[in-house]
Amino acid sequence: MADRSRELSGKSQVISIEVNGELHEVTVRPRHTLVEVLREKIGLTGTKDGCEQGVCGACTILLEGRPALSCLTLAIECDGKKVRTVEGLANGEKVTAIQQAFLDQGAVQCGFCTPGMLMSATALLEKNPKPSLPEIKKALEGNLCRCTGYNAIVAAVRQASGQGVDPVMQ
Amino acid sequence: MSELSHIGKSYRRKDGPDKVTGRATYSQDVKLPGTLIGRILRSPHPHARILRIDTSKAAALPGVKAVITVDDTKGIKHGFVETPRYPPDQEVLARERVVYVGEEIAAVAAVDHITAQQALELIEIDYEILPAVFDPVQAMEPQAPQIHPSHPKVRDELPYSNIGGRTTSGWGDVEAGFAESDYVRIDRFESHLRTHGYLEPQTTIAHWENDRLNVWTSSMGTFIKRAKLARTLDLPYSAVRVHKVYVGGTFGGKIDLYSHEYCASRLSMIARRPVRIVASREEIFSAYRHGQPLAMEIKTGVKKDGTIVAQEIRVINNSGGYRGSGVVVIFLAWGFTMIPYRIPNLKFEGLSVYTNYTVRAPQRGHGCPQIRFAIESQLDKIAEDLGIDPVTIRLRNAREPWEELPNGDNVHEAGLIECIKVAAEKSNFLAKYGKGRNASGNIRRGIGMGVSGYFGGSLIYPNGSGVIVKMNDDGTPTVLTGGIDVGQGSETVICQIVAEELSVDIDEVKIISSDTDTTPQDIGAWISGMTYVTGNAARQAAGNARQKMLELAALRFNTDIEDLAIKDKTIFRRSNPAERISYRDIIAYSIATRRGDTILGEGFWRTMRDEPTHPSLATTKGRWTENYAFSCQVAEVEVDIETGEARLIKALTVHDCGFPINPALVKGQIDGQVSMALGHAFLEEVLTKNGYTLNPTWLDYRMPTIHEMAESEDADVITEQYSVGKPYRTKEVGEGLVSGILAAISNAIYDATGVYMTSTPFTPERIVKGARKLARTA
Repeated sequence: MADRSRELSGKSQVISIEVNGELHEVTVRPRHTLVEVLREKIGLTGTKDGCEQGVCGACTILLEGRPALSCLTLAIECDGKKVRTVEGLANGEKVTAIQQAFLDQGAVQCGFCTPGMLMSATALLEKNPKPSLPEIKKALEGNLCRCTGYNAIVAAVRQASGQGVDPVMQ
Repeated sequence: MSELSHIGKSYRRKDGPDKVTGRATYSQDVKLPGTLIGRILRSPHPHARILRIDTSKAAALPGVKAVITVDDTKGIKHGFVETPRYPPDQEVLARERVVYVGEEIAAVAAVDHITAQQALELIEIDYEILPAVFDPVQAMEPQAPQIHPSHPKVRDELPYSNIGGRTTSGWGDVEAGFAESDYVRIDRFESHLRTHGYLEPQTTIAHWENDRLNVWTSSMGTFIKRAKLARTLDLPYSAVRVHKVYVGGTFGGKIDLYSHEYCASRLSMIARRPVRIVASREEIFSAYRHGQPLAMEIKTGVKKDGTIVAQEIRVINNSGGYRGSGVVVIFLAWGFTMIPYRIPNLKFEGLSVYTNYTVRAPQRGHGCPQIRFAIESQLDKIAEDLGIDPVTIRLRNAREPWEELPNGDNVHEAGLIECIKVAAEKSNFLAKYGKGRNASGNIRRGIGMGVSGYFGGSLIYPNGSGVIVKMNDDGTPTVLTGGIDVGQGSETVICQIVAEELSVDIDEVKIISSDTDTTPQDIGAWISGMTYVTGNAARQAAGNARQKMLELAALRFNTDIEDLAIKDKTIFRRSNPAERISYRDIIAYSIATRRGDTILGEGFWRTMRDEPTHPSLATTKGRWTENYAFSCQVAEVEVDIETGEARLIKALTVHDCGFPINPALVKGQIDGQVSMALGHAFLEEVLTKNGYTLNPTWLDYRMPTIHEMAESEDADVITEQYSVGKPYRTKEVGEGLVSGILAAISNAIYDATGVYMTSTPFTPERIVKGARKLARTA
């Protein structure tokens, strides 16, 4: 049985990942996913593990600046790469425009989709500072939200991009 | 009404900054050193006798720290309902028989996932396969397989098998009512199986330490979880502490005792180490509790002008292998029938039937979307048959303010009539209605209306909520509440109430919530009662703290309390406003003059304070609540009559939720419900065959994405006012609004196509089939 365990686990390897500007050297096995390594080994639990099937988008992070599903990304593939997670957005207490817009527009309810939504929205806005409505929808189509009905999230992206949505919250 | 400073304002969420920065701790984020991984072994069969279980090989596997079967439990059963008529009917692990695919048989705790998985594979079980039944109507046949042969049956003598529960109710003389009706119509409707779709998987981490059990679990109420865990583990309530965690969505799916919660706890008690169990998404889809499809037969008699004279309703529910909330949903179907319209003569029967499917739980609305879909769809058909429009027939039957309901409750300032009028006006309903079917081209637009009424709070354990407001030395309040924020924003609302009652800045109100050891008991985030029940407890606790400070200030100023008022953390004399004292100084005065006493305010609230018990689930006798919310919703849809594809274009929700304490949070609830209702209408279905789930992923179970969401507009009909220091009847807003819009979508499809939807979901196949049938008969 122990042999099978090794077979399933694979040989350990030390990889180095830059997460939110900080270099981490971690020992991983080939089967380890990036979300496992971020949450269990590096201790950044902001990235959520929603379905482990690559469908809900809660685990979205930025890999080399592009959104990626960390539950479907093997950690070993990220050796030498840069990862950004939700913890890397705010600078201390100063949140980014998209984080502030999520607060202002009521785009947060249970909050479980929020980290993934924020990362997808951040990638969009960094690439396209004034996205159209179809572009916003396209960028966020892989992130499920069961609470808000999405309209508030769209409003938040529009607010962060300076496109004419008045904050609804005080 | 005195001028309000904090109530009625769209404050940002208190928990928002934690949630947008990733700091918020959910149950899956709790880390304890030495944590073991728990896994559960489930039945592969829908119905089987367990002949032998051998866990010895699993227990001997290196790295396995505990293995449990039913022999390691106390044999104490649990149930969503635990009453003399409906005693608990489910063991925490299966004993001798399994009655659904996925039923829990054994559990292991091991050092890692792989070892836990290997241990599960080493457990040997011999089964004798038994005949199974899946359709509730077939399950009621006398010759159907008996799912609980030795189970105490409901008392009523029924010629049916497998009845887990029965609700009968009614008033007036139904036969005489039908005899005096000008028009009688009979229809049968069916709804389908959907799941809650909470983003956060069900997760529990349990740690048995120093003869106490610490539990972090994703739930809808820490106190109900504590009660269920303590009872099944045979521990004193005080030996179980359920800690606060943020909750990543529930929608009804995290109330009851779940297997991972019991198993993580029991395994930890044996292994003496923390145990974490995360339910995989496939497990949630295949073995966990979903919502409740209902089959609904409705006979309605009306006068020529559309006035309802009599209604006879029969509802059949498939409760799965155990009762779950099946006996509640048939009771609630009666309630959601009764609330919005006057029905002078009613005969109601609800049957909850055991089958070999997974157990069923509440799901947002808990029977309301299903029964309102049926009643509202039939009402539109009746209106058309009589040549009346959908608005007029609803206005004719809608409850007036202050009407007494047949169960003795009063609807108080019910705003239903205004909701219907505003909805009709804002949507320009009558100008649009009836245009779709006569249009040319494949794409047809339709408009439909649905009405709903919903209760808020009721007498269910723990029946009420307590709140403590602790005044700090600096004059700021800290609120201790057992209330749990599952995303609806309860922490924010409670802080707003306390800020208002104490005239302090909302940012200065700190909140400690949902911890069974450090906070007072709370009803939990279900039965739509938190803002009403916990909110009134918070109002009372803040008022109690205020009163204590005023009493001290009266002593200090040598005046009467009536001469004192508060503003901005200061108490001043009305007769001489220059004479004032800050909260900070009055608290210091209290400490100095009362041997160190500081100020603690206490509040407690329960619905129907004078009623000893809740209404009977069997007979509906007994009062329920005096907290009824109302709504009228309008849907505009677009249907391609060639392909049958339909989509919701626009939703309008006009609702009476009492006084909206935080309008932005109310709006959030509305949009979320519209999204869920359109999923119900068009996309979501748990597909099953012979007890097995065929689509256990979100790839195959389609929830609305950002592309499907419709425009969602809303309007408040404000019927209640918030007065500082006085009880308020803030009403439900988180559940009922998924109901009217489903009915409105059904009616809008009919308006667009002439296809009468009697089954959900409204699939292209059903619409095309209906359209072709219409074309053939034209």
